[in-house]
Amino acid sequence: MQAVQPAPRRAPGISFPQLGMLTGERWLVGSHMVVALIALSFGLLLGPFQAFRRAPAFMEAFPQWEMPVFSYYYQALSIHGVMNALYFTTFFIVGFSYFVVQRSLERPLWNVRMAWVAFFSMFIGLGLVLYALLTNQASVLYTFYPPMIAHPSFYIGLVLLVVGTWLVTANILITYRGWRRDHPGERVPLAVYGTIANFVMWTVATVGVAIEILFMLLPASLGWIVNSDPQTARVLFWFFGHPLVYFWLLPAYVSWYTMLPKQTNSRLFSDPLGRIAFLMLMIFSVPVGVHHLFSDPGVSNVMKAVHTVFTFVVVIPSFLTAFNIGAVLERAGRQRGARSPLGWLARQDWGNPVVAAQISGMILFVAGGFSGLIHASLTLNIALHNTAWVVAHFHMTLAGAVILTFMSVLYWMIPLIRGRALWSRRAALAQVYTWLIGMLIFGHGMGAAGIAGSPRRTDMGAAAYVNPEAAFYLNSSAIGGLFLLISSILFFVNMIGTLAFSDQPVQEDAPIGTTGDPSSPLILERWGIWLGVILLLALFAWGPVLVEALDFVQGFTSPFYQPDIPVPLPFE
Amino acid sequence: MHIDELERYWLIAVSVALGAFGAALLASVFIFRVQLPSPVARIDPAEINESAFAEPGLKDMGDNTYAALFVAQMWAFTPGEIRLPKGADVTFFVVSRDISHGFFIEQHNVNLMLLPGQIASATTRFNRPGTYRIICHEFCGPGHQNMVATIIVEDTEQSTAEEAAAE
Repeated sequence: MQAVQPAPRRAPGISFPQLGMLTGERWLVGSHMVVALIALSFGLLLGPFQAFRRAPAFMEAFPQWEMPVFSYYYQALSIHGVMNALYFTTFFIVGFSYFVVQRSLERPLWNVRMAWVAFFSMFIGLGLVLYALLTNQASVLYTFYPPMIAHPSFYIGLVLLVVGTWLVTANILITYRGWRRDHPGERVPLAVYGTIANFVMWTVATVGVAIEILFMLLPASLGWIVNSDPQTARVLFWFFGHPLVYFWLLPAYVSWYTMLPKQTNSRLFSDPLGRIAFLMLMIFSVPVGVHHLFSDPGVSNVMKAVHTVFTFVVVIPSFLTAFNIGAVLERAGRQRGARSPLGWLARQDWGNPVVAAQISGMILFVAGGFSGLIHASLTLNIALHNTAWVVAHFHMTLAGAVILTFMSVLYWMIPLIRGRALWSRRAALAQVYTWLIGMLIFGHGMGAAGIAGSPRRTDMGAAAYVNPEAAFYLNSSAIGGLFLLISSILFFVNMIGTLAFSDQPVQEDAPIGTTGDPSSPLILERWGIWLGVILLLALFAWGPVLVEALDFVQGFTSPFYQPDIPVPLPFE
Repeated sequence: MHIDELERYWLIAVSVALGAFGAALLASVFIFRVQLPSPVARIDPAEINESAFAEPGLKDMGDNTYAALFVAQMWAFTPGEIRLPKGADVTFFVVSRDISHGFFIEQHNVNLMLLPGQIASATTRFNRPGTYRIICHEFCGPGHQNMVATIIVEDTEQSTAEEAAAE
């Protein structure tokens, strides 16, 4: 007689349509994505013109040329940075994470109303920040270091963004807790694992920037305090700043680990090692931020060395990812008929924009990862800190791997939101490859110009000096910029086309997995333990840095300044 | 937890590579003596004029070594130009009077953040005659791209010969 095994108790989940969205889901995810695209349009389209403006050959040909719309270079640069790096990324990531969590767990968000409160908090924040930026009252770049001070609406807008994301974290974690209660002993799907890791990391990290804004910048912009300490501010900012870049990267990894295998008809090599990678990124993103402060006078060499060691450690999860995703692509290539040992590299689905965008992003990420390792090596950093090299690095990572993967997601998600197929696959492919080529040329040019000593964040078109060794590379960067301009236009045309003009039915379904690999250790999901580890590491790695930066005798002594007036505030 | 054999080899290879990078870093610090900026002292920006920085410039310390004091402010360095003999060992001490600036000397591994409240310092040797710019590489407002100073390294033997020829 056969023993009857009781089926594991599963709460009846919601079933989501594979080629469309539920109404509430469409509104919530769609609103985040549309706002993300609006922010991106501000950020993206201003980028290439900076490359033109920095190219000596271009300025020789058009000596009177200025940045379009925002003639002030640093205003355009501030908009480019804040819109791309802070607002596009955050809106996209929140929308994407809601989608991933609901679909993977097959249950609704814990509190949809709170999700909307978070959305409007971030949205009003975007409006306030845009007001300050567009009226040239916040041309302080996306790092907004004091003693430079912007209009209060800029800081209030940033606070609203951060507060919104904290509500998102709460919503996702409580949704997960509900799932966990209903599914004891099961492993959470990998995509949700990565999403939780991302929001835990983000929430810990934003505490630093929240303190900086609430206790230094916002009160100063309102005239309540007159002094700050720039070294302390930089310490607080970079406590946040490095987890910020992993906050962009982890959703891209979620796509590579959990969606790319489906999109390439392959399967993930190792789910548990994917979890280890996410966990390591979450933990070791915190004790590495001082590698942005290697040239700072107020941070000791010991702490600079400690953060270098951890930076090398945080490279490991990316190498784990390279192996895991490499194996996914190898299987995909072999299924497509590759025979030779490396033939699978060429036999990929290059005609599918969703796949091509992600693989192109990975190609750029190889350059991005190694360039990062180079300038995170504390002595080499002396040659590279604040040069164009740094710009090359994060255009390989953020503007390479991350944004191409986000575009890949948008190429299947916007059709799901709209309920219509992508407007033009061919335009999408052209967009991906012009982006890849443009970004390679741009990255090479900026990297080489940086080695030649060309500074970043500098309006070279108006500069008192031109570095002859850098001139060639600044010119080639501008050619890269031209490719990227074409690519950006193709992207937005396709997005508008999909939202407004497409009339074909959706073809690509949502690549979502709803189960976790039961062989992965459950301890990986003991979030309380890992949060404790993060906090301990933060204390150990940042406590001494902060204590050293703070002046306990005199307190804050540096008055604030408006960026364009060399007279300390408040004016008499 | 199962880890595939190939993946184990991969992890070992990665660890070895990272270890080699780390060893190279140690060598750069302890064998090649590359020095990072490290804390020197604090200075209240309001008291710069009551300090040694009231008169910035080059101080000859003898034996072809120099101390160079610079003050950075929106949007200039003081002094705007210094002249050095070939082979000079120079220790720079730099402060900011107002907001954050940068201090980057072309081709000479001097790369400092200048933060109000902190004295930044670095040492380098000028072996090759020529003109080198000090560039502010930290955004400091609309005049940022014009914030440069000059270091002229003179070939002393050549200039002595020229002086002799002139006589």
